Amino acid sequence: MAGRNITYLSEANLITCVLQTGLAEGVLDAAKNCGAQGATISYARGTGIRERMGLLGVTIDEQKEVIRIIVSEEQADRVFEAMYLAGGLDTPGKGIMFMTKLDRVATYIPESVLKEIA
Amino acid sequence: MRYSHYLAQTNVSYKTVSYNMLTPKPVDGDPNALKPRKINVTFKSAVDLLGPYSYVRIMDQIKAVVPLALYLILFQVLVLRQPIDAAASLAVGLAAVIVGLAVFMEGLSTGLMPFGKIIGDNLPKKASMTVVYIIIGILGVGVTFAEPAIGALQAFGASVDVKKAPYLYELLNNWTMPLVLMVGAGVGLAAILGTVRFVKGWSLKPMIYLALTPVALLSLYAWSDPNLQSILGLAWDCGAVTTGPVTVPLVLSLGIGIANAAGKGNSSLSGFGVVTLASLFPILAVLILSVFVSFTVTPEQIIAAAASAGGSTQTELSIWDQTPLVEIVLGVRAILPLVIFLMFVLFIVLRSTLPNRMVTIYGLTLSILGMCIFNVGLTYGLGAIGSQTGSALPAAFMQLPIVENSPHYPEIVGFVICVGFAFLLGFGSTLAEPALNALGLTVQELTNGAFKKSMLMYSVATGVAVGIALGVAKLIFHLDLMMLLLPLYAIGIIMTFLSTEEFVNVAWDSAGVTTGPVTVPLVLAMGLGLGNAVSAIEGFGILSLASICPIVAVLTMGLVIQMTQKTKVTQES
Repeated sequence: MAGRNITYLSEANLITCVLQTGLAEGVLDAAKNCGAQGATISYARGTGIRERMGLLGVTIDEQKEVIRIIVSEEQADRVFEAMYLAGGLDTPGKGIMFMTKLDRVATYIPESVLKEIA
Repeated sequence: MRYSHYLAQTNVSYKTVSYNMLTPKPVDGDPNALKPRKINVTFKSAVDLLGPYSYVRIMDQIKAVVPLALYLILFQVLVLRQPIDAAASLAVGLAAVIVGLAVFMEGLSTGLMPFGKIIGDNLPKKASMTVVYIIIGILGVGVTFAEPAIGALQAFGASVDVKKAPYLYELLNNWTMPLVLMVGAGVGLAAILGTVRFVKGWSLKPMIYLALTPVALLSLYAWSDPNLQSILGLAWDCGAVTTGPVTVPLVLSLGIGIANAAGKGNSSLSGFGVVTLASLFPILAVLILSVFVSFTVTPEQIIAAAASAGGSTQTELSIWDQTPLVEIVLGVRAILPLVIFLMFVLFIVLRSTLPNRMVTIYGLTLSILGMCIFNVGLTYGLGAIGSQTGSALPAAFMQLPIVENSPHYPEIVGFVICVGFAFLLGFGSTLAEPALNALGLTVQELTNGAFKKSMLMYSVATGVAVGIALGVAKLIFHLDLMMLLLPLYAIGIIMTFLSTEEFVNVAWDSAGVTTGPVTVPLVLAMGLGLGNAVSAIEGFGILSLASICPIVAVLTMGLVIQMTQKTKVTQES
């Protein structure tokens, strides 16, 4: 059996963005335009603000879309800001987002890319 | 513009605030200090919240209504060269349809649906199976009243000529209440049988055979009686009307909840079949009612009564009979019984409370309000445009007193234009139906991609298009509806016999899905307008043809797929 190899990626951040259903597409476009490589989207149900707003709570969809994007530290702020603005998170009820530092990331990295940076 | 460019130009200012400052702190002696407090929403943020909320919901309905209305209007102006009559009230009516549907749908999903779900989840645990079936049956009647399209049937009753079709006139004008009740009873029975099927895991095929046999026999009986013949179109159309946006999800959510509780809900196909039965039993119910009416009154009595009533009702229009008040009364009457019944079940039978009282009440209010607005729009918008185009349509091939310079085209070209118009109308309106998209996705998953979503959508749309085109041809050439329906159903039965259970479920359900709250009134009004213009006895029947054709189309596709898969297997082995 041939020896196998893992390449660790360092200096990576995770951006998680919880949005009302239907907003994910625009936010994803913005992130990709700013250099984000890929994204994972999952569906979830949110609670909290909705229940505390009384009748106006119906305007906020209970169903959420959660976007997770791994970005390099260099591009992190740019992508974060683009996603915030594209999702319109500065208006009430749209969603919440946060960024965390990642310890290590590993995935398949093409041989050619590794040679290029070496 | 790329987002990165946009970013370079916008000015974003930053500020950092510690989250510690925002979270509640414990206070000595106040145990409630840590509990989340109610949020006070300022006017501006309320507008920010309501704006996108209403925009999305109204856009959905605009997408469903505007292209269809535009198609009819353009066709009337450009091809039929007939100006739009009462354009202002038409525009207001169409706007009312859009707003009404948007409000009603929102009310349905926030108010009525949670009700159905709670009852479906809890009912089998707290009540015996007999009680469950009784409640489902009554619910079937309730949802029929709440169905937006059922109002269309009642609204167009007055346009029937009493001398040509006495029993049809009698049913639609003096027997409306029993008529809707019978249709409801049909839906109720279908809901009960559908649920029994869920629980016991019966096959759909024998149920289709058993349901169709009495329908066919009664139809033949009515066909042989010249006075009852005119009722057939209405009876068969009722099946298509009942399976709308209220009945299907509410009955399904109840049925699936019960099947889950009974422990038999694991079959992926268990959700299907109710829609089929709910479109077959009402036909039977209406046929029984019309036979009953034919035994109680004679045609001569009806004509005499209508003649004497025609003079008196015209003069005594009370305030409640005037628009838009009558629409509002109808709207309230449609929803309220259903709501009261659901509340009765929830509070008295289940002895439980509303989960989110304020939101549910808001949803119920919306559904009543939406129904009222939609009813107004039905009269002035969808009904008006449909009957306008329908009555101007024959101008393409024959002389009409209301249209100058008619006929516009040689007779054969005119026929082709009319039938082609109907075909495109059916095709476009079906593809736009959101329920079809959902069905397509489900089917694709169920068949592991053998039956592609687009394939289902196109075969259903083609089926509806052929059905509506056939229906229009039936009116123009005065064809006999039974001569068209019976062979088609015969083909459907033979194909059902040959097909596998999955395809039978999907195919028979696809017919119910296609007839939504926009298509039904539009097609009904168009058919009646066209029927009057070419002096056909009655303009019904288009919808029933639009129901059977997609069934045949989907069954054919299913058989083709079965065959190709079989040949593949034999080739490989």
